[in-house]
Amino acid sequence: MAEVVFIGLSLASVLLLVALGLAITYGAMGVINMAHGEMVMLGAYTTVLTRIYLHLDILAAIPLAFIATALIGYAIERVVVRRLYGRLLDTLLATWGVAILIQQAVRLELGASFFGLHIAGLGPGLQNVAVPPELTGALTLGSVQVNAFRAFIIGVTLLLTLVTWLLMYRTSIGIQVRAIMRNPRMAAACGIDVDRVNALTFAYGSGLAGVAGVMVSGFKTVFPDMGTPMVVDAFLVVVVGGVGSLLGSVFSAGLLGQLNGVTAFLANDIIARAVVFAFVIAVIMTRPRGLFSQKAR
Amino acid sequence: MLTLDVVDAFYGRSHALHGVSLGIPEGAITAILGRNGVGKTTLLKTLMGLMERVTGTIRLAGRDITRAPAYRRARAGIAYVPQGREIIPDFTIRENILMGAFARPGRRVIPDLVPELFPYLMQNLDRPGGVLSGGQQQQLAIARALAADPKVLLLDEPTEGIQPSIVEEIEAIIIRLNSEAKLTVVLVEQNVAFARRAGHHFAMMEKGRAVAAGAMAELTDALVHRHMAV
Repeated sequence: MAEVVFIGLSLASVLLLVALGLAITYGAMGVINMAHGEMVMLGAYTTVLTRIYLHLDILAAIPLAFIATALIGYAIERVVVRRLYGRLLDTLLATWGVAILIQQAVRLELGASFFGLHIAGLGPGLQNVAVPPELTGALTLGSVQVNAFRAFIIGVTLLLTLVTWLLMYRTSIGIQVRAIMRNPRMAAACGIDVDRVNALTFAYGSGLAGVAGVMVSGFKTVFPDMGTPMVVDAFLVVVVGGVGSLLGSVFSAGLLGQLNGVTAFLANDIIARAVVFAFVIAVIMTRPRGLFSQKAR
Repeated sequence: MLTLDVVDAFYGRSHALHGVSLGIPEGAITAILGRNGVGKTTLLKTLMGLMERVTGTIRLAGRDITRAPAYRRARAGIAYVPQGREIIPDFTIRENILMGAFARPGRRVIPDLVPELFPYLMQNLDRPGGVLSGGQQQQLAIARALAADPKVLLLDEPTEGIQPSIVEEIEAIIIRLNSEAKLTVVLVEQNVAFARRAGHHFAMMEKGRAVAAGAMAELTDALVHRHMAV
């Protein structure tokens, strides 16, 4: 059973990395970013490309994926999302479009396939990433044997969650983000450059999703559509946790990850999905603002 | 200090200000008067840059700021104390005050005026803003505006909904901020007695237009009766 809980924890970790970015962007800016899952996918492809072209492993891919997806996130905010603040449904549709564009760009190898060229690592096929030898095998924690790579995922998530918390609660930019979450108009009247802070927040959230993509690539196949289910799961986490609440996202990711993991162990994956969805529906019916919403005063 | 030249402002499709031309003299208190819903709050939002669409020209010390976003106006020296205070309940009193300081360069510090004017806030810096009474929250909102080290202070009904004992205190503070700290004050007020006591100039609004303006001595009872009697 300890092993099952551990697997649940590693699933929850990936979920949390994806959801943290959404919790901040949805909470601070009221933007439903459907292209967030594509950041996970791009993070996973960064791992593939890093191995093929730079001959480096997953560890080196983490910072590269963060930088690449943060830059792409920044560009999406500047070009598309910026013009849609205050129009929730429009952000959903527009970012969905962006998501499809990104998927196709990967599938069509950035357009090279039209000219009969092939870029190794891209294209519609499946890609696999080898986990480096130091992260394979098992670790012994007390009396329990745990998978080393899953332990690594949990460690990276703990670290990034801590960094995010410090950024949000101990830095000037974090105070600005939180002020915008509570009252964007007043934040602007206090001299906060809301546009700039929003762009940086969006980039940071995208970067976290990119790192999650690196983690996912270690235990799942990498392919152009892989981000779509991720964004759905991450939104479930945000909705259950409460919009704009970091703590809520942490708890809710843990809860949903474990619920999924344990049910999958006791029954099977399909039942586990059903149980998770039933739980989320129950939460939305009884606590529409989520379990930890600060707006539900 | 601040001049408006044929300014129109809109909320979506509804036309809220109609051709308002007005001068706010430097170093004085200008009271904006009128009944509810005539555009007084809209006027302050227009000055702060919080309206969706504005036409005409707004100048701050001669500089055209009509197209400047709110945060640039804040950094140029306009501070806003909105109706309803809009402090952040789950931020500490310190964080609420320091929010204002994003508008000024350098390290964010609580200005010297704040402990002098609001000793209660200074003794409770680490408590959340939400536990304060209405009057204390009003003081907090003023302290936040002062943290920006502003030149112009926009106050929207600062004594509305506050227990009478604190109203006088807040009135005295507003007068001091103008006379001692030399702030230019734009004061939206329903209380004509206070406006007359504190203000040097006035502007009377009706249906989104400035219908009269001038020195406070020119604010006759007939004018008040015509535009403010319910």
